[in-house]
Amino acid sequence: MLTIAKNLYDYRELMATLAWKNITLRYKQAYLGIAWAILKPITLMLIFTLVKSFVGIESGDIPYPILVFAALMPWTFFQESTSEGVTSVVGNTALIKKIYFPREIFPITSVLTKLVELGINFVILAGLMVWYQMMPSIYILWVPLIIAYTILAALTIAFVGAAINVYYRDVGAALPVLLSLLMYASPVIYPLQLVKDKLLVQQAAGEWSDALYTLYTLNPLAGIIDAFQNVVLRGIPPDLNAMIPGAIMIAILLPLSYLYFKRAESYFADVI
Amino acid sequence: MAIIEVENLTKEYRLGAMQGIKQTLLNTATRLAGKKVEERPLFKALDDVSFSVAQGEVVGIIGHNGAGKSTLLKILAKISTPTRGSVKVNGRIAPLIEVGAGFVPEFTGRENVYLNGAILGMSRQEIDQKFDEIVDFAEMAEFIDTPVKRYSSGMQVKLAFAVATSIESEILIVDEVLAVGDIAFQRKCLGRMESFMKNEGRTVLIVGHNIRQLERICTRMILLKHGRIECDGEPGKASKQFLDETTLKPEHVIENKGILPHFDSGDIEVLSVEIITDEYKEGTPVIALFADMHIRIRVRAHQVFNEVEMNFGLHNPEMVFISKSSTSLLGQSTSFVDGENVIDILVKKIALCAGTYGIGFAMYDWSRRPLWGGNGIVWFTVEAPSDYISRLPPSTQSYMPALWAINQRQSEAITYAPALPATQSSGFTS
Repeated sequence: MLTIAKNLYDYRELMATLAWKNITLRYKQAYLGIAWAILKPITLMLIFTLVKSFVGIESGDIPYPILVFAALMPWTFFQESTSEGVTSVVGNTALIKKIYFPREIFPITSVLTKLVELGINFVILAGLMVWYQMMPSIYILWVPLIIAYTILAALTIAFVGAAINVYYRDVGAALPVLLSLLMYASPVIYPLQLVKDKLLVQQAAGEWSDALYTLYTLNPLAGIIDAFQNVVLRGIPPDLNAMIPGAIMIAILLPLSYLYFKRAESYFADVI
Repeated sequence: MAIIEVENLTKEYRLGAMQGIKQTLLNTATRLAGKKVEERPLFKALDDVSFSVAQGEVVGIIGHNGAGKSTLLKILAKISTPTRGSVKVNGRIAPLIEVGAGFVPEFTGRENVYLNGAILGMSRQEIDQKFDEIVDFAEMAEFIDTPVKRYSSGMQVKLAFAVATSIESEILIVDEVLAVGDIAFQRKCLGRMESFMKNEGRTVLIVGHNIRQLERICTRMILLKHGRIECDGEPGKASKQFLDETTLKPEHVIENKGILPHFDSGDIEVLSVEIITDEYKEGTPVIALFADMHIRIRVRAHQVFNEVEMNFGLHNPEMVFISKSSTSLLGQSTSFVDGENVIDILVKKIALCAGTYGIGFAMYDWSRRPLWGGNGIVWFTVEAPSDYISRLPPSTQSYMPALWAINQRQSEAITYAPALPATQSSGFTS
């Protein structure tokens, strides 16, 4: 654990440089530049708001557009850093075959890159909050922790996915499909409260209801999105009950994923 | 003290295509069922290689394509891991394995210097300090803010080389990078490498095909063959063994498939090119070191040519010309009659290193209009007894047929082969 941290510290400049490369490269010859980063959540927000006007989705006392935007921010960050992380090793074949540095730098850098885009989205979120005249509460201090947790969740998939993707490119192709499915299994379009009411209060699935809810919250994104909305919009602390199952899963899977990545790492250059 | 310690290093690759996910699952199932799975054959890229390198040594690694040179460097640079055996490296390694890895075409030279520096393990501060030096060495001050995609490949390599060699590492690993850039830059690179070795005592491992160049800068050479160390020692010894194998290998001797010209005006036909000797080895004429060589070329001219100019030269299998001769310096005009003409060329005391050489021949008319020309139109081998070679200094392509006089007692040092009989020599003009 300590050596990992030391390694990361030793290579911090390289990671910063590679992240800077990724960002600059993406927007270098684009007229709209970094504005493209916010286009995705904003478009999705508009679409979901439009959909919501046809099908009623209970959003509580928070305006739906900002609620869905606050859900889309961690979601898009998670989704993009995961898929970029998974393809990052294969995408850097030229470097892998010619220079050695710890290979986990690639997935980690992908996540760091996406962090910058997330930062830009915070500006939009602030704008929306001003528009809807919402004041952030003290609980907003939770945000860094929530983001850190999201990073760990993304890395859990990115490490193992990136390693397998070197051997079988199927992973890179299957991941976008799986992730878009996961979006519907996460409280992005609908708030978590809806699931909670259905399962915990109304016991809609009979005796299975509690188990089903735990299963739902095994998805770390369920807890993350809800917590993000809580601390930013609702001004209340995160619902830890919704976060614990996912957090336990990440705590178990992340080390395994990392170990698998490190074991596979030495063959990357031969196989890729 | 050894700075690099390689012990029983073996690297195996599986031959054949990568298996898909389906095949892997099927194989796993078969294995679980207790049956044997058909394994793809193994290929040993490196086979039980052991050596150690002391600080300050400059080790050249040579061998044919596929001998395992690059695999060895990749393992030393930690890019690839050995199947068996161990590698111990005490110090920072700067790998120059295909320099410019990680150059981003969209970025300017400046941005790429920082990026490439970071990839090679330099800190930002370190790059800041060295930036001017790097740009200066690469001679790129003018273009440093231009995207690299607009650079010529030579410019890219120059910049990459400048970045890579600015790392302060104990060990430098170089893979065939010196073969790039123009001659002036190549010389500059060699100069830099030499200063690394001599002034800074850095250890260098270098792979290359330019044997002569390597011979010049290395203090030691390792010859690899099919993944094994074939020779490890003085540069001259290893390179000689390598060149001998290359040039004397029968399949490497270029077959005399008729005379194929480079240019042919159609005015003159070359009927035959013949090296007059009694000795042949595998169909190739053999000339003994310091013997005279007699070449006879028969041409058919379709008209009378006055003042023909003929050039004749010897080149090695890499098409580098070793020596030339021209009739333009004869001081008398040469002319061809309409019909068959016979040209006899005598080269006295062939002083070339043992190996295979080709003959190039070209003809021009009085206005220097090319009439006919071709390289490698016939090949021959120069042979020397082994005790001769061991006594002669290595690292050159030819020997000087010099006469020595010590205390005024003149003697002809090179008396290995008797000259051709005088009668045969007559009629030659030199």
